Amino acid sequence: MNPLLPWIPGLPLAAFAILILVGRRLGRASAGVSIAAMVGSLALTGALAPAVFRVEHVGIQWTWLPHEAGRFQIGLAVDGLSFLMLAVVTVVGTLIQVYSVGYMHHDARFSRFFAYLSLFCASMLGLVMADHFVLLYMCWELVGLCSYLLISFWFEKPQAAMAGRKAFITTRIGDTGLLIGIILLAFTVGELHLDRLSVVRTQLVLGHHETLLTIISLLIFSGAVGKSAQLPLHVWLPDAMEGPTPVSALIHAATMVAAGVYLVARTLPLFTPPSLMGVLGIGLATHLFAGTVALTMTDIKRILAYSTISQLGLMMTALGLGAMELAMFHLFTHAFFKALLFLGAGSVIHATHHQDLAQLGGLSRLMPWTAATFLIAALSMGGAFPLSGFWSKDAILLEAHHAHPWLMWALLGGAIMTTSYVFRLYLRCFHGASHGMHHPHESPVVMVLPMAVLAIGATGAGFFGSPWLHQPLLRILGETVVHEDVDPAILLYSTVALVTGFLLARIVGFRRRSLLPSWLRPVGTWLYRLAANKYFIDEAYNRFIIQPFLRLTSALSRFDLRVIDGLVDRTGMAGWSLSQLKDQFDRQVVDRLVNGLAQVVRTISQLGRRIQTGLVHHYLLCVVAAVVLLLVWLGR
Amino acid sequence: MMPVRHLLVVSCALFSLGIFGVLTRRNAIAILLAIELILNAASLNFVLFSRLFGDPQAQAFALFIIALAACEATVGLAIVIGLYRTAKTVFTDQVNLLRG
Repeated sequence: MNPLLPWIPGLPLAAFAILILVGRRLGRASAGVSIAAMVGSLALTGALAPAVFRVEHVGIQWTWLPHEAGRFQIGLAVDGLSFLMLAVVTVVGTLIQVYSVGYMHHDARFSRFFAYLSLFCASMLGLVMADHFVLLYMCWELVGLCSYLLISFWFEKPQAAMAGRKAFITTRIGDTGLLIGIILLAFTVGELHLDRLSVVRTQLVLGHHETLLTIISLLIFSGAVGKSAQLPLHVWLPDAMEGPTPVSALIHAATMVAAGVYLVARTLPLFTPPSLMGVLGIGLATHLFAGTVALTMTDIKRILAYSTISQLGLMMTALGLGAMELAMFHLFTHAFFKALLFLGAGSVIHATHHQDLAQLGGLSRLMPWTAATFLIAALSMGGAFPLSGFWSKDAILLEAHHAHPWLMWALLGGAIMTTSYVFRLYLRCFHGASHGMHHPHESPVVMVLPMAVLAIGATGAGFFGSPWLHQPLLRILGETVVHEDVDPAILLYSTVALVTGFLLARIVGFRRRSLLPSWLRPVGTWLYRLAANKYFIDEAYNRFIIQPFLRLTSALSRFDLRVIDGLVDRTGMAGWSLSQLKDQFDRQVVDRLVNGLAQVVRTISQLGRRIQTGLVHHYLLCVVAAVVLLLVWLGR
Repeated sequence: MMPVRHLLVVSCALFSLGIFGVLTRRNAIAILLAIELILNAASLNFVLFSRLFGDPQAQAFALFIIALAACEATVGLAIVIGLYRTAKTVFTDQVNLLRG
């Protein structure tokens, strides 16, 4: 029972609460609150390191619902996998928050931004420490919410608002699959604690229920497909670049999109060979697809977005091979160099107020620190020798070669594309002719310092998984020695891929010379246009899913208006008509009766009146007549 | 003595003339006169039957009638005078204020 654990997500959560309530009064100090919370979480995570490395169980549990059948325990637990994620989130999160002080300096909603960042970090930390599916799902949704809030942070821009909506709805589709998977798991097996999943697997396999296991694991994977922007739910990530660049760096490069990878890694015991094949297939397809699109984009953030999609596809491929440790290792190194790439892009955008390659160029002289750190990140991503990206990518290539030889060649193709697009970006942005910018200058220290720290990480993080240091990272993830030393063949292949990619970038991407013979050029142009339009997936979704759905809803709306409202209105009208009828009856029949009666009385009285003439001699006549009658009557 | 029938006819004739006058005359005083006539006819009837049956009480009653007639005429005339003061006329067909 470790009582300090809840404070790891608790400190940023407290920061969020403070900043939401009194942030506006704190002004610039809001950043201090937020960063202090993150540093606190970082320190606590560091304090956990010894215990994790000794492979002790670190956890804390609470009883949520005391139930007669058994207490419903839910809590936080930290094992090697969680610890790795904690390290990534706290380190990268802190650095990006420091960077944001500079980037968001002129923003009117400064404190709100840090509030949302804190909430995001709190949710992410909770997600990776959850030991129960329900808690994980809650944090999963919270993370999605923060993504929405931060993407549409500048909501005055309609594209930003639309992008936030698109992100939320697309990931929601995946989340629904995840929810169904969790519910299915709960109703069939009844076990939702994440540390008992291997038991579940053994149970179901022995009972010949592999199909159920496959279905559950694929449903869970669909959540990861949404969150980690894999095919076919990747469409939200490029649009999410409308958000501020620190957001893109933190959420859409290093952490939130990695949550999908974490989820699959955590629930790997539930994955059967068929579902692993599905994971592999989607991961590989995504990796290659996104790579081709990234080669054609001209907006620097979009290139990096597709790069992220591609690298996540690579991680999914590794998971599909069953190599959870290698996928997580790549997630670890990727967090560093991708965050650094995004921060560098942000630095460029902040200085030049441009995002398109057509308007950028020759910045290396004016922004040396940005250019240098960007180059390190690019080399790391490309897999240059002792930098971090090399170690993780090569480990995956080796594993792929062992499993399916053709897979390694496919991944090498992907690696060529990766190097190609990133160096195309680097060369076009930092070298060559500048396109008339108005004195861009290097970014302030508060932005450069995190970039420098990340550059150190991008360089050295790989050593934690390298065979030279006996792979401490992989050991805490549960794997004993994976590889003895660097495989020379793989090293050769990947270096060739790196150089090829760089040359392609330089010749085709930078100097703009076509390498294709003239008879192939039309094919090349056609392929280029296909990729540049992102294979028309957005258009296809719009035409075949969104528009029919909107037509359905408007048809239903018209039905509601005409039929249902019509029914209600007509019922009202019927009541009104009935009352009109009654009114007529009342008026014509009843009133006439009453008035008629009065009229009869009046007529009779009018007639009766005529006796009273007021003339004496008439009265005398009556008297006499009466006497006569009396006499006659009495005389009978 | 003359036959009773003749005196009865006279009395009846007087009575009828009186009734006729009451019903017909427009002048209020004339109506009063006609009423006197009726009274006289009644009085004559009394005297007649007194002579017939030899009872003198009826004759005394005739004296009563004469006194009564005087009183009643007085009252009647007072009313007519009051009427004249109000309506400025004594003709009954011109006074219909009590018309309903």
